[in-house]
Amino acid sequence: MNGKKRSYRMVPYLFLLPYLFAFITFRFGPSIAGFFVSLTRWNIVGQAKFVGFRNFIDLFQDPNFIKSLINTLYFMLLTVPALVIGGLMIAMLVDQPLRGRTATRTFVFMPYVIMSTVVGVIWLWIFDAQYGILNYYIGLLGIRPIAWLSNVNWAMPAVAIATIWWTIGFNMILFLAGLQDIPNELKEAARIDGASSWQTFWNITLPLLRPTTIIVVMLTLINTFQVFAQVYVMTGGGPEMATLTVVQYMYVQSFQYYRLGYGSAISYIVFVFLVGLILLERGLLKKSGDLD
Amino acid sequence: MNEKRKKHLVRLLLYILMIVCIIVSFAPILWMTVSAFKPEGEILSYPPQWVPLHPTWSNFGYVLKNFNFARWTFNSVVAALIATIIVIFIDSLAAFAFAKMKFRGNKTIYAVVLSMLMVPIQVTIVPLYLMFADVNLLNTLTALILPTTGNVTGVFILTGFFRSVPRDLLDAAIVDGAGSFRIWWSIMLPLARPSISAVAIITFMSNWTNFLWPLISVSSDASRTLPVGIAQFFGGQSGVSGSAPQYGPAMAAALMATIPAIAIFLFLQRYFVKGIMMTGIKG
Repeated sequence: MNGKKRSYRMVPYLFLLPYLFAFITFRFGPSIAGFFVSLTRWNIVGQAKFVGFRNFIDLFQDPNFIKSLINTLYFMLLTVPALVIGGLMIAMLVDQPLRGRTATRTFVFMPYVIMSTVVGVIWLWIFDAQYGILNYYIGLLGIRPIAWLSNVNWAMPAVAIATIWWTIGFNMILFLAGLQDIPNELKEAARIDGASSWQTFWNITLPLLRPTTIIVVMLTLINTFQVFAQVYVMTGGGPEMATLTVVQYMYVQSFQYYRLGYGSAISYIVFVFLVGLILLERGLLKKSGDLD
Repeated sequence: MNEKRKKHLVRLLLYILMIVCIIVSFAPILWMTVSAFKPEGEILSYPPQWVPLHPTWSNFGYVLKNFNFARWTFNSVVAALIATIIVIFIDSLAAFAFAKMKFRGNKTIYAVVLSMLMVPIQVTIVPLYLMFADVNLLNTLTALILPTTGNVTGVFILTGFFRSVPRDLLDAAIVDGAGSFRIWWSIMLPLARPSISAVAIITFMSNWTNFLWPLISVSSDASRTLPVGIAQFFGGQSGVSGSAPQYGPAMAAALMATIPAIAIFLFLQRYFVKGIMMTGIKG
């Protein structure tokens, strides 16, 4: 009796065991370990040497790191507003009772299932300075050809364009789900009261969409802050480090120069930024009373 | 009359906008496809031709002959499939315990698990690399699969679903003498099929498109995955080294890597959408 009861008590842990093993070994453990690595000077061969917060201090005096941070923020400035506002506008468009809206949703979302590096390769070809199709079409509009990916001023916008094309469908889906949660009666009622479409959008749709909007903004910020694969393929961080991003710098430091401690410190700075963004989100959600 | 006219105009405008969306979304995919079928001389022709004059399979042959493309595809498919199966199995077991069982530490453990949603994956990369190097598992499928199994999203989605299953259903099964494992297998899993499909798609896609970890953990050509192989052989890196990039083979490789994903997407669209909505709620 007693034995049976004890074995029954063990059951939850048996159910948890396989997952917790994987979680601790491959997710939780490494996340903690990363912090300790970031406190060392460690060049893969040889011993790790404890240096305290030296790596973090060095990072903020490292012009290349500052450059990568500024580049990443610039990339976010180029992509986040377009992805959020554009995503919302497309969602509202395909929410209308129009023939072909389902097909439009499918087409807009389709790029999202393509691998990041394939997206890079496709746009490498489109942006080709000499033979690229984009330069041909802007040429028809009378614009001189642009060396998109090898021009310091254009490389980042080019990567941004490819990224917006690739991921806007994701935001569209999230906004669409939010829009469909808004009861139609509300909009109906507003219309009967004589509100214009613009007033309905501004006073009813947008406020009710607030929780969705906050989530979309946050996911977009998080994903764009971690941009890496497209840049790796399209520009390799160039020209003249104009597209070097934070995660790419982490990759270069950790796995090309094998400065593991320094690289880990960069990844922890990414972490701190993301936590900051998430806390901001929590604050916003609390303020709007959607989260208890 | 005027009112009606205005309405028609708005509708027309909306249709035009929809067509613009479709064109902008699809043109790059179409251009990749068209380019993949163009012979070497034709691909750089100006002005661009949207229909290949002499369509050819030669770019595909070139990719398959000169690169380990089939091998990369195999690695990607196998790694993503095995990871997905493991994740569904262990996540649904754990989610069942979190959602329906009473035990000491339930809430605390679940909170610790969820807290990892905030920790970016980059933080784990260096320690994982050291760990897999230590046990000599770099360059293996094992290294590509295992880190995925520690994911959090799957447990989060499934726990959320299992919590919504009415207690009565389980009580009835317990009265009938079913054990926990039996309940998990024959009641919870069948009920959770839509959520499991969503988790499966999320897991498969994130493993299939994963780039940073496979780039780091695998250096031998035979163990590469598709995203890494394509990046290294058809990306800008090769163009930088002097020779002009060969866009024909690059587009053929890109197309071959894309068609399976788009096909799966078109068939399972519903689950994709559901999966995205579920990850969106996680914030």
